Amino acid sequence: MQGKRQSGLLSNKMDVNQAKQEHLLALKVMRLTKPTLFTNMPVTCEDRDLPGDLFSRLMREDPSTIKGAETLMLGEMLTLPQNFGNIFLGETFSSYISVHNDSNQVVKDILVKADLQTSSQRLNLSASNSAVSELKPECCIDDVIHHEVKEIGTHILVCAVSYTTQSGDKLYFRKFFKFQVLKPLDVKTKFYNAESDLSSVTDEVFLEAQIQNITTSPMFMEKVSLEPSMMYNVSELNTVTSGKESESTFGKMSYLQPMDTRQYLYCLKPKPEFAEKAGVIKGVTVIGKLDIVWKTNLGERGRLQTSQLQRMAPGYGDVRLSLEYIPDTVNLEEPFDITCKITNCSERTMDLLLEMCNTRSVHWCGVSGRQLGKLCPSASLSIPLKLLSSVQGLQSISGLRLTDTFLKRTYEYDDIAQLLHLLVLHDTGSLWRKKQHLR
Amino acid sequence: MDSGEDAAQRPLTLDITVIGAEEPEAHIPSEAATISSQPNATDTLFQEESIDLDAEAFVSPQDDSGASVSVMDKLNDQMMESVMISDSPNSEEDDVPIDSLLEQAEDKQSLDSKELEDDKEKEAKQEEVETGTLEGAPEARGEPEGSSFAAALVDKGEAEVEVNENDSTKEMLTSSHVTAGTPTSDSPEGQEMMLEVGEAAAADAAAEAAKEEPIPVCTIFSQGMQPKTLVPDGFQPTLVKSPSFSCGANETPNKLAPLVCQPSPSLSKFFADNGTVNPASDFFDSFTTSSSIISISNPNAESPKATSAAPPERQLSSGSSTVPSTGHQDGGTPTAYFSTAPQDSAPKPVVGPAEPAATMTKLQAVFSGSDDPFASALSMSEVDRRYDAWVPSEETRRVLISVATQQVNPVYVERDRLSMPGLKFDNLQGDAVKDLMLRFLGDQAAMKRQVLTANSVEQNFLGLKQLISTKNWRAAVDLTGRLLTAHGQGYGKSGQPTSHTTDSLQLWFVRLALLVKLNLFQNAELEFEPFGNVDQPDLYYEYYPTVYPGRRGSMVPFSMRVLHAELPQYLNKPQESLDRLHSMRSVCQKILANLEEGLAEDGSMMTLTQENRQASIQLWRSRLCRVMYSMANCLLMMKDYILAVETYRSIIQYESEQSVQLLSGIGRIFLQIGDIKMAEKYFQDAEKVCQEKGRGQAQETAVLMNKAFVYLSQNNYAEAHTCFSGILKIDPKNPVANNNAAVCLLYLGRLKESLGQLESLVQQDPALYLHESVLFNLTTMYELESSRSTQKKQALLEAVASREGDSFNTQCLKLV
Repeated sequence: MQGKRQSGLLSNKMDVNQAKQEHLLALKVMRLTKPTLFTNMPVTCEDRDLPGDLFSRLMREDPSTIKGAETLMLGEMLTLPQNFGNIFLGETFSSYISVHNDSNQVVKDILVKADLQTSSQRLNLSASNSAVSELKPECCIDDVIHHEVKEIGTHILVCAVSYTTQSGDKLYFRKFFKFQVLKPLDVKTKFYNAESDLSSVTDEVFLEAQIQNITTSPMFMEKVSLEPSMMYNVSELNTVTSGKESESTFGKMSYLQPMDTRQYLYCLKPKPEFAEKAGVIKGVTVIGKLDIVWKTNLGERGRLQTSQLQRMAPGYGDVRLSLEYIPDTVNLEEPFDITCKITNCSERTMDLLLEMCNTRSVHWCGVSGRQLGKLCPSASLSIPLKLLSSVQGLQSISGLRLTDTFLKRTYEYDDIAQLLHLLVLHDTGSLWRKKQHLR
Repeated sequence: MDSGEDAAQRPLTLDITVIGAEEPEAHIPSEAATISSQPNATDTLFQEESIDLDAEAFVSPQDDSGASVSVMDKLNDQMMESVMISDSPNSEEDDVPIDSLLEQAEDKQSLDSKELEDDKEKEAKQEEVETGTLEGAPEARGEPEGSSFAAALVDKGEAEVEVNENDSTKEMLTSSHVTAGTPTSDSPEGQEMMLEVGEAAAADAAAEAAKEEPIPVCTIFSQGMQPKTLVPDGFQPTLVKSPSFSCGANETPNKLAPLVCQPSPSLSKFFADNGTVNPASDFFDSFTTSSSIISISNPNAESPKATSAAPPERQLSSGSSTVPSTGHQDGGTPTAYFSTAPQDSAPKPVVGPAEPAATMTKLQAVFSGSDDPFASALSMSEVDRRYDAWVPSEETRRVLISVATQQVNPVYVERDRLSMPGLKFDNLQGDAVKDLMLRFLGDQAAMKRQVLTANSVEQNFLGLKQLISTKNWRAAVDLTGRLLTAHGQGYGKSGQPTSHTTDSLQLWFVRLALLVKLNLFQNAELEFEPFGNVDQPDLYYEYYPTVYPGRRGSMVPFSMRVLHAELPQYLNKPQESLDRLHSMRSVCQKILANLEEGLAEDGSMMTLTQENRQASIQLWRSRLCRVMYSMANCLLMMKDYILAVETYRSIIQYESEQSVQLLSGIGRIFLQIGDIKMAEKYFQDAEKVCQEKGRGQAQETAVLMNKAFVYLSQNNYAEAHTCFSGILKIDPKNPVANNNAAVCLLYLGRLKESLGQLESLVQQDPALYLHESVLFNLTTMYELESSRSTQKKQALLEAVASREGDSFNTQCLKLV
């Protein structure tokens, strides 16, 4: 390939001790990112052209081409890493550490220590901490270290070598290799609270997670899953199932180009035991955390988890009013029934009084100001109500008032549901309505 | 998410933690933020949380006391920083160590006169560069022979000058390159002009010479011409003419181009051989007269000479009424140089005034030897039609029709519709290997380096092929430059009308292909520029009814079109490449459709024999495949993996015998992305095809290779190594398996073994292993192994020097 080749060899231009004395041992460190596949550049001609079969012969003789398909650019030849590259949070930092005896004498009791200094801690990465008893000239001590990077920012690999010369001098030197760990992903989350289904009391929560690849290379998202907290069950909404086949919403190839963003959607349902106490789920709740596994060149792997995602549950106040039944179609100026469910979300028992106030379009039928009786904490109560609408178009059902006679506190419920009254030709009496989720 | 909501929401700061990291201590700072930023969320139904990894949130290291911190601070400058990966093929130019180059240049100058012929030539070039610098390209500093990109840099600098200069200054610029020579001119006015300019140039040159080196001697000529002693003052201003211009200048219908020719620097030196007059025609004859060799070496290249020398063929293959009279070849006859008058009809040998008749007889003698001109002419025209077919754009087609129907004389075709190529540089030559040897191994060792140069081979196609096959591509580029100069498309001729021949376009193709092979993309782009979309009317045979009577189709070889289309992708313009490739693909498809409808390739009504039709369909299918390959490669470079994979897959249906390679290749693309499951799926498909084909060595190798790559991507280097070794049991000489096995050993912590393996490979079979990729791996391991890597790299350099040509990419040795 074109381009100036460097290796991943870590260069350390200043060795603190080197200035003072020559050492018998040399320490070299190379970051082992995955090797890359050599790409060749096909330039072809036809037999009839001036070079005849020369170009194709040259390409066939080139060891890096694919035999039989020389015009295929991506070869099979592995080349060692060309530079240090970037390292990202969650990836594994691997490095080759080689201590070579450059001198012509046998060196004894060699101890090589590799530590990684991060901004918060110091980790020992050496495979073994025991000393090598002797090292002959032109021989090496090799070590390959691995470390999963868990912090961003500056990291320093500190390699220390101590040894004894033939004359019995104990010598010691250190080398430092600094690198920056960068952030690979940008994650944004957003919660959507679904209004309760008519049949259930509890709410589903939808989580949209935007994950952006902020590295410079394409990234294959092997796994992006939501690990829910104990209160929730999660279902992933990132595949479309048709028949037996389920297809990813992201198409066949699950990779992210640099700076590309992808949205993942999850639906969280409170577990039944928590759902019973729906009124209790309020305030800040822990939803869970995202677990992200990605791979890049030749399977270089990275993994991150977000911290616990938290959500502010919608406040229902002390008393919650939800709809249990509402008809599909209503006729203009014809009474219809709805069923309301009233739940006591507070910690105390309430004694409730229901009032119904007519609005411009909605007319309640029945007695206003009726007693509903006592309602214990977390208990709920269903009440059928009758009303009629006098105006076409999109109308809100409003005007319910609940008063807690113990505390003399009144709760107002407006915009409980919206009705779309469509006047259909030939059928003037019937109104089509569409319930829309409120809130 | 829509932004309106975003604005309304309050972002919470979270942090990303890694599994296994001690969470509490890792994100205390930001957790505080999380809690504090919980607002009265009663009305905020949606929340957006941006998860922010904030480096600042961390405190500085608390351990190791102040000592370690101070060490860290002290090291801040010296420490390695992570390097951004850049894919730009051109980015290396930033890396050119200009200082070292200049240093090198100084060394060079101290070596002066005892140098070999080659070195003198190189110095000549160095001088040219300096002249260029004086002319106003101060940035173009560097040593031309220093390294491949030093040359590129210089060329670029020069190119900039050319682009910026207007015509007149360009004339000045180029004329100043004319350092020595003798006036030879037929056109008095031209001569006068040239003399004036030339004198000025001579003054310049003399000034240069005074303060610098002896004037370089031209060594371009044939082998016999050994360099003679330098006579620094023995030069005089001269007009050097391209042979094709020798036919005089009156009758020029529109004085568009100045008749003064501006010879390129090195050519001027060529002609100025120690004060001896070497008329252009001599040089030209040096390869025209050896046309017998041309026809042997390039039997398929339909020789225009054949056409002009064998009138019967012409009459057979066309109904054209214009039968050129070959008799009155006369250098003195004034004709417009771009006229297609019969006397110019032997397009390549544009014969100089010196000995036209002699040349002509020689040419005729060559072609009279052919056994059966009729039969060969017939079959030739079949093959010609098949290979040359192309569908020009509507506009070009109209021009061609009007030329064919003699409504328009080609002379009157608008100038801006013509391609007017010319060399844009000619100071490329150099041998980076030798330079490195000079620097690291000394003069003695460098003396031993023997490579073919443009001078050491015959000045014809045969010599060119010799240079290409010995991998002396730089020298080959030089030779194409000379041959094109002789054709009148030399340095500075860009923008001047010229007539093309089959051979001249083949030369252009070879030159541009080699430039691309040498990674000199900018240079290639510059020289491709006059060809535009490779669709000008003068690039079609129909434009030259007298020269190529009855012949139709594109003079531009198909491979050159592919090259033209591929080039922009190497210059960070992949979209342009794709556009060009798409239009090529549609032409190929059109031609295939025509053939299937029973028409000729270009859609004309013509009855083809079944045999011919089949041959044609086969050819155009393979060409379509070639274009598809280019598209897929380009998409891969663009990292548009989805489309790349799709395109490679679509090739399988045309080239089913390549399906194993293609399926494996697609698998490797998936591995590159990181999608190992898909990769395995494609590898399984490849294996299935292998099983159908039976268990050959190639199949087993392919299967094992793919397995090894899967292990590799699972970080299982031990198993990968086993697989690569398995391939070596079947095919011990497999270079890829050998190299890859060695790479695996390194990842297993077995540096010495790995090194030993690669080293012995390079020693035992240098032909296979003196390859860029292997050497790069080897030198990287040397660097890792000991502090004495430089000596070991120098040993590699010696190995390279004894085997490789001047096109060797020395960067992989990592000596500089």
